[in-house]
Amino acid sequence: MELSESVQRGLHSLADPSVFDSISFPVLVDVSFRSLLSSHADTALLDQPELKQMDQILLKQSHTAATTFILEAVKQNADKSTISSCLEEVTFSAERIEIFYNAYQKHKKELDRLLASIGRRPPQITDVSWRLQYHIKNGQVHKVNEPFYMISLNTENEGSSEDINFSCTMEQLQDLVGKLKDAAKSVEKAGQM
Amino acid sequence: MLLVLSEEHKEHLSFLPKVDAAVVGEFGRIALEFLKKGTSPKIYEGAARKLCVPVEMVQHGVEGLMFLMTESSKHMISEVDFLDSVLVLGFGEELNQALLQLYLQHRSQIRSILSLLPSNLPAYHNLEWRLDVQLASRSLRQQLVPMLTMRLLLATGGGHSAKVVQTDVTTLLHLITMLEAALAAMKTNHARRILRNIK
Repeated sequence: MELSESVQRGLHSLADPSVFDSISFPVLVDVSFRSLLSSHADTALLDQPELKQMDQILLKQSHTAATTFILEAVKQNADKSTISSCLEEVTFSAERIEIFYNAYQKHKKELDRLLASIGRRPPQITDVSWRLQYHIKNGQVHKVNEPFYMISLNTENEGSSEDINFSCTMEQLQDLVGKLKDAAKSVEKAGQM
Repeated sequence: MLLVLSEEHKEHLSFLPKVDAAVVGEFGRIALEFLKKGTSPKIYEGAARKLCVPVEMVQHGVEGLMFLMTESSKHMISEVDFLDSVLVLGFGEELNQALLQLYLQHRSQIRSILSLLPSNLPAYHNLEWRLDVQLASRSLRQQLVPMLTMRLLLATGGGHSAKVVQTDVTTLLHLITMLEAALAAMKTNHARRILRNIK
C-alpha cells in the first residue's frame, strides 16, 4: 500500500511509546475506527480523558493518519501480512500491530458496507405497490369497462426517494412479470457457474 | 340513450340534405380524416368552390358531422337510438341510413382515437434488463455484487420516456412475488363478479 509522507509521520508518532503510552494507544485506535463509522462528524470523540494530556496537534495528526490508513486498507481489502508489513515500516511493535489488526477485523465488515455505499449509481428500486382498478368511463369515452393496474415503483438515490408511477393492462403486467422472472432465472444460472 | 342536439348543431347539419349522397359520403370521409389527423382549411376551400357554397357552410357541415360521430361513439349508442336522434333533423330516410352506416363502420376506430385523449397517466410500454456484477468502484476495490440494471419504457400522451433503475437480487424476487399477487387479484371471485356485471 502506498502511504503519503504525512500519513507515515502520523503513524510514526502513533508507534512511539513516548508519545502514545500503552493506555492511550488502544484508545486512539478505537476512536479512529469509531469516528469513521459514526453517522455525523462527532468532534467530541477525540475528547477522551486518556488523550487530554498530550499535545493536541500531534493527536490530530496521528488520528488523521490512522483513519486514512484504515480507509486505504479497507479499500484494497488488505490482508494481515500487508497491514503488518506496512505498520512494521513505520516502527510499530508486534504488540501494537496485533491491537490494531484486531480492531480492523472487528470493524471491517461495517467499513466495507460504508465504502460500498459511496458513489454514483442509478436510482435503486426498494419496493413496489399496486392497485387493481376498473375503468368505467372518462370525459371523452363512456362505457370503457376495462380493468387496469396502477403500479408504483419506489426508488431511492443517495438519500432522496422518488416514485415511478404507471398504469398497465393485465397483459402488460404479465409481460413485465415474465421479463422479471427471466432476469431472476439468469441470476440463478449465473450463480451456478 | 338519445343524443340531444343543440340548435346550433342542427343548423350546421341542415346543409347536408341539400347536397347529394356522394357528397355526404365525401364529407364523412373528410370528417374522419380530420379526427385522425387534424383539420386542414385548404380542403374546406376546395369543397366550397366545387359546390359553389360559402366556406363557412362546408366547415360547419363537416364539423357538425364530426361532433355527431364523436358523441355517438363516446356514448356507444345503439342503432335504434342513433336513428331516433337524427330523426329530429328532418332528413330523408336515405340520408339517415347513410349517417348510420358511417357511424357503425367507424365507431370503434373513433373510440380508440378518443381514448388517446385523457392520457395523463404514464403507461407501461416495455422493460429491458441486464445482469451485471460490480467488481470495483472508486471507493472500494475487490467487490462482487450482482446487480440488475433495467430500462423501463413508458408512454405518456404522445411521447415516450425511459427510466433507468437498478435493483439487487433480493429486491427482484420481492418484486416478482408482489406483482404475481397483483395478477392473482384479477382472478378472485370478487373481481370476476364486478367484471361480469358492470357492462
